[in-house]
Amino acid sequence: MPGIVAPMRNTVERLDKPSSYAMSKYKKRKRNDTHTDTTRPASPDLEEKLADATTLYVGNLSFYTTEEQIHALFAKCGELKRLVMGLDRFTKTPCGFCFVEYYTHQDALDCLKYVGGTKLDERIIRCDLDEGFGEGRQYGRGKSGGQVRDEYREEFDPGRGGYGKRFREDQEGFADEYAGGA
Amino acid sequence: MGDFEPRRERQGGGGGHRNDRRSGGFNKRKRGREDEDDFDQGYPNRRQQREAPPGTRIRKGLLEIAEDPLRLPQDVAQNLAKQTVDHYDDEYVRDTFGQVTLKLIVEQPFKIPFLAAVVQYANTDNADVAKDTIGTATSRLQEYLEAGQWREFKLVLRFLACLSSLYEEDGISPILDELFNRAVDLQTAAQDDTLGLELIKIILLTIPYLLATNSDQTLRQTVSELLGRTDIIASTQSPLESLVNPYPETNAQEEKAMPCASTISMLQRQLQEEESQGWPLKCLPRAYDPALKPAQANGDADLEVEADGNVEAKVLSKHTFPAISVPTTVSTGAKALFPDLYFSLYADQEVESVPPTSSIASCLIRDSIVDTINILDFNRNATARFLNELDCYWAPDTFVKRSTAFDKLRDVQSLGKPTWKPEDVAIDAIFSQVYQLPTPEHRLVYYHSLITESCKISPGAVAPSLGRAIRFLFRNVDTMDMELVYRFMDWFAHHLSNFEFRWKWAEWIPELALSNLTPKKAFIVGTLEKEIQLSFAKRVRDTLPGDYHPLIPASKENEVPKFKYDDEATPYAKEGREIMTMLKKKALESDVQTVLDIVRDQALAQGIQDPLVPITDIYMTSILSIGSKSLSHVLSTIDRCKERLLAVGPQSEAARRQIITSVVDFWSEHPGTAVNIVDKLLNYTIVTPMSVIQWALQDHMDRGRALASLQIWEMVSITMFKVTNRVRQVVRERNNMSLAYEQRQQIDEALPRERQGMRDLFTAIVDAVSGVASGVQDEMIERYDGENAEEAMVKAWGEKWTRVWRRKSAVEEAVVGEMFIVALVEQEQVVDVAEAEALEDMDQIA
Repeated sequence: MPGIVAPMRNTVERLDKPSSYAMSKYKKRKRNDTHTDTTRPASPDLEEKLADATTLYVGNLSFYTTEEQIHALFAKCGELKRLVMGLDRFTKTPCGFCFVEYYTHQDALDCLKYVGGTKLDERIIRCDLDEGFGEGRQYGRGKSGGQVRDEYREEFDPGRGGYGKRFREDQEGFADEYAGGA
Repeated sequence: MGDFEPRRERQGGGGGHRNDRRSGGFNKRKRGREDEDDFDQGYPNRRQQREAPPGTRIRKGLLEIAEDPLRLPQDVAQNLAKQTVDHYDDEYVRDTFGQVTLKLIVEQPFKIPFLAAVVQYANTDNADVAKDTIGTATSRLQEYLEAGQWREFKLVLRFLACLSSLYEEDGISPILDELFNRAVDLQTAAQDDTLGLELIKIILLTIPYLLATNSDQTLRQTVSELLGRTDIIASTQSPLESLVNPYPETNAQEEKAMPCASTISMLQRQLQEEESQGWPLKCLPRAYDPALKPAQANGDADLEVEADGNVEAKVLSKHTFPAISVPTTVSTGAKALFPDLYFSLYADQEVESVPPTSSIASCLIRDSIVDTINILDFNRNATARFLNELDCYWAPDTFVKRSTAFDKLRDVQSLGKPTWKPEDVAIDAIFSQVYQLPTPEHRLVYYHSLITESCKISPGAVAPSLGRAIRFLFRNVDTMDMELVYRFMDWFAHHLSNFEFRWKWAEWIPELALSNLTPKKAFIVGTLEKEIQLSFAKRVRDTLPGDYHPLIPASKENEVPKFKYDDEATPYAKEGREIMTMLKKKALESDVQTVLDIVRDQALAQGIQDPLVPITDIYMTSILSIGSKSLSHVLSTIDRCKERLLAVGPQSEAARRQIITSVVDFWSEHPGTAVNIVDKLLNYTIVTPMSVIQWALQDHMDRGRALASLQIWEMVSITMFKVTNRVRQVVRERNNMSLAYEQRQQIDEALPRERQGMRDLFTAIVDAVSGVASGVQDEMIERYDGENAEEAMVKAWGEKWTRVWRRKSAVEEAVVGEMFIVALVEQEQVVDVAEAEALEDMDQIA
């Protein structure tokens, strides 16, 4: 008996959808897109695009977390097809994120529901569905080689290289003697 | 966590002003000010002035029904009924009411009695609300019945049972009768039938809801008769029960950790008890009080009034119950059913922190919680919140106040007050799923995460409950089904990794003196290994008392194992180093061959029968060393060298198993890494499932001692999971009607071979481990003569393994065996390209 009210999906929010962060980023990108090129057909909706996604972006890892640790946790949601560590563009050392690819979409969704927001190596990790790993995406896009989010971080995070690099550089002008290492 | 803007929960069901945990204190100042706007200032702000339309308000009200402990559920229900009646001429309101109600019934079973109350209150002023709702619910019921969606069927039936006083005639009783008849047919047809048992369970779980809201004597009479008939099926033990018993019967004289009776046998006894007491059904909430007039806003009515049956006070509209036809052949539904046994860590102990197994409350509350947990796996935070608010959904005074310390229960008990701890009841239900045999509905990690969230919501109350659960499980580790012990280990290590590895390890220090072959010591050793896999050796050691430190030697801190050919004493040391250098430099294959030929000649000269064995050791160990930096490194190196590795097996089985030996030896300090690599080697078909099984359970049985090793268990389990998963996929694809008939025929032809391969593996495992159980394993005969403590322990492991693998084999047969597979039929050939492509993906291992 179809009514005038759109069918209700669920009575509580679902955790296996793209995060609001991914959504807003995508919308921003899309807005910029249409601005430059209106002749192209509009790119599909993000949710549609991720309907078969088997890859997850994993964030807020410690720089010291190893592939084996990631494997130990993420394999709880299914066999991993591939694991790509995010690296600092210059030093080629881990910079706190990775891509995890499963064999099935369902495994990726399970991971969002059951692993995203839990701890690995004693840090709350963030998981988001991803369109898929492409070459080059394993590198940090920040000016100093790591992730952009670490550039200006003012809090000291021992798991992610201390203070943000740019922040630290800004400080260095005043207190050179405290700079150094890493 | 600067990635997230702190924002309010926009979702209606959530109670929007809770602290958003994700924001973790970031930007607190701003939040504080916003909150003040909402709460503290006495004047209404803009948002409140613009009142939401009635449909939206009703929707929100329904979603949040009974959640607020400060509002009487009768008032809430009555209020919603009034709003609904007032706006029922609005199509949007009608649609919303029907849709939200039906969705809540199948997603949030806790709320069923309260939703039924809304309909009942509404019925006094507007007959259409009940008429429409009954109409929608019954047509939904029919759909679920035909599809074999038994959980949804049960929940909608429960809702309709709660409305039984609204029906002109018999209402749902004829459905219960029909279900019973089907159950009898099914039970008569097959001894190991489980669908019939499921139907009986549905009948028995519906009865309490039917009688709690309806004290009609004829109805009670009907139910009593039905209950007399269900007895024989409910009280008979199913032959499958022993297969899924978490604490199996042993010949040993040990006391059983818990009785694990079947849920239906418990329900049958409990209902008979209720019947003899005149159906008090104390735990069920009675949100509908006919004494309350719908317009009356404040309702501090006495609940007892209703139980006395003062229904005649007002003339109510009665409704015809739409006909439901129970198909002659009922559908099994999507998943294989097994008998349901009642698992409880806390029941029937000295202090009554959960309902005793003699009380109907045990089964009713458990059933609702387990459904909630399994339905809402897509939002563990919401589920954890519902479990935390468990006491809102049952009769007042069913539970002791939240967060009451366990030590206080004794005092409460002596005062004659309720002592059931909501936290214990919730945790007990989650654990019943973690230890569900053969498998729970969702991945185990879901239940892990749910426990973690519950702990986060109310650490002070939940953590001590968990502590008692852990101690119970550990105390009874010796008699628990071995697969479940490994689930316990897996959960425990994972849980601790979320909570700074905090556990009172000191209390298990005495167990450290035990042999590594005792289940308790093996559990401790395995747990630490799993902790290290999620963390690292030094971190884990730092969380342990000194007595444990010898279990984590400094050698475990070496992230990169040494290359054995660097040691001159190792045979073929020079060649080993050469091969490694060549592989690193990606030298020509012919050059590699030259060196390997030297090894072959040396080996032959020394009288070694199969020179491919040392050659393979050198080659594989070099690959491992080059790839020792990480899993990706070793995978890319294996990929580069796969031609030569693939050629090993067909030439020599001994050399193939040497590949596994090389991996396990190289990663001896990190056994989990070795298992991962073997797993990948299976995908490449460099090693075969049979070679892994024989490597583990023949070559490395070590007089049966291997059976106490986590690594051996994991290696065998992972291998068998791969194999059984593949056979299941083959069956799925074979039955996939969207594939071309010819294609399905091809798959069908491949099925017997795949299935036979799986059976051979099961046989190999069971033969090997049952040989240990009976002490006839070759090495055991040599070694053990007469009484020997070690022999007894090893035999016990053999028994545990045998039990687990016999079960796993039986479960697979129930899914892919000939008896359960219907003949391949040609049907309308809808060829879906996407589906056909999906088939290619299934070849992960072949």
